[in-house]
Amino acid sequence: MNSIRRVKTDIFFKHLFRFAGFACIAILLGIFIMLLYNAVAFFTKVRPIDFITATQWNPNNQFGLLPLLVSTLLVTFGAMLIAIPLGIGTALFMSEYTTGFVKNWLKPTIEMLAAIPSVVIGFLGIVVISPSISHIFGLSNGLNALNGAILLAIMALPTIITVAEDAIYAVPLSLKEASYGLGATKWTTLSKVVLPAAYPGIIAAIMLGMGRAIGETMTVLMATGNSLAFPTGFFSSIRTITATIAIEIAVRCFLPFSMACGPS
Amino acid sequence: MCPKIFKVKIQFCSLLFLVCFLSSCGKKEDVLKIKGSDTEVNISVLLSEAYFMQNKKVQLSVSGGGSGLGIASLLNGLADIANSSRPMNENEVNLFKEKHVEIVPYVFAQDALAIITHTNLGIDSLSVDEVKQIFKGEITDWQQLGQNKMPVTLYGRQNNSGTHAYLKTKLKIEFSPYAKEMNGNAQIIEAVKADKGGFGYVGAGYVLKNGKQADTNIKILKVYEKGTTAYSPLDYNAVIQQQYYFQRPLFQYILKSSYAKAQPLLDFEKSTEGQKIIVSNGYFPAIMN
Repeated sequence: MNSIRRVKTDIFFKHLFRFAGFACIAILLGIFIMLLYNAVAFFTKVRPIDFITATQWNPNNQFGLLPLLVSTLLVTFGAMLIAIPLGIGTALFMSEYTTGFVKNWLKPTIEMLAAIPSVVIGFLGIVVISPSISHIFGLSNGLNALNGAILLAIMALPTIITVAEDAIYAVPLSLKEASYGLGATKWTTLSKVVLPAAYPGIIAAIMLGMGRAIGETMTVLMATGNSLAFPTGFFSSIRTITATIAIEIAVRCFLPFSMACGPS
Repeated sequence: MCPKIFKVKIQFCSLLFLVCFLSSCGKKEDVLKIKGSDTEVNISVLLSEAYFMQNKKVQLSVSGGGSGLGIASLLNGLADIANSSRPMNENEVNLFKEKHVEIVPYVFAQDALAIITHTNLGIDSLSVDEVKQIFKGEITDWQQLGQNKMPVTLYGRQNNSGTHAYLKTKLKIEFSPYAKEMNGNAQIIEAVKADKGGFGYVGAGYVLKNGKQADTNIKILKVYEKGTTAYSPLDYNAVIQQQYYFQRPLFQYILKSSYAKAQPLLDFEKSTEGQKIIVSNGYFPAIMN
């Protein structure tokens, strides 16, 4: 009796997990097909080259992606400029320069940063960082790309630090010992041995952090001012692709080739 | 060992639970869903609350999101009433026809659109042409209007906003691409408050309370057409007499199939009590034909 039940349980769970696996793939495929269908339908009306190179975004008739694309890249680039040195520095500090109490507190605290919802970070941008930017740089307002970049850097930091720290920590002790044995200082060991050895992991950390920054919607929507003009620098107000999707999606039902309209 | 009867019970219970859950979703008739205009949402909530106090049998849900969202929700059957601060455009009318969705338009109040700036600005009134030029991006510095050198920062609403659409049609312009697009009236007020060169537009309901300016940290400009007196949206009589330039009817579009259950709410909005709520919160009574 008991053994039959065990076999039955095994079979049940086998099918359950198989179902879970296939359900995942089906969902992914569904999303992909829906996007593809809409994109193809869209490109039958608008030439792809116009879509990429035109500079006017006015979705009643003009679909120029370029300013949005440049905005997204600009704000992500800015965020990485801030987050990469800070993140890798912190990771090095945590794995090489500190132990015990500080490390035990620092790591969970940084990971807590990842738990702050993006809308809260966006709010922070509106009430704290934006006024500071306008004050420091003498601008009339601080709703610009720089504001977005700083916020996105804050959001990307936990990812970068955690992954980079793991990568640095995983460098074999024997490599470091060999370096010290040859008389290298701590800094030389770090920059010439540890960092190159942890290189693939650090790249992965940067990529994951960048993914977080590119895909972020709410924060940039709240903090960058959303103006449609072509960005000219970190002080211009920008509108990223994700923010545009968030703004337009509610009303874009009226496009003839849209499927995202609920039951019809 | 687990007795079989017990297992059956669990299944039965979960089925029962599911049925209850689904049926609670299906009870559509009692809930009146109102969606749409950010300009109207405050007054719509107040009216619904007051109406609910009289008639506790109905359930009302009111949410904002912009006029465009409201109309889209109406089309998709996600709302019974769409609040809209602009009339439906041709494209939308056609879509409703295509889908055979019948609706009833209703004007329940009027709004005066307030043009707002920072309090330190030395300007008290602007002509319609100047307002137009600023929104188009032809006036980019307050120096052009005889003020100290200070760039104009435009704050406006997003594509889903009826107010945005209203201004575009009323002034026959496209907005400057440098205009910042904010999420709602309240965010525009906050931004203009902090920005010395700020310039924006909000529904009067957001700046007016009991006939007075609710927030003295912003300046509400008077607007005049060439050769006429400048009127402020704070001037109740001017708005009633149709003298302020930026005033518009506030619509509610009601699904014909939901009209019966919406009727008492509409009657309440028309009643003396409803009109009192409308006026004391910075909106204006609708023009009765």
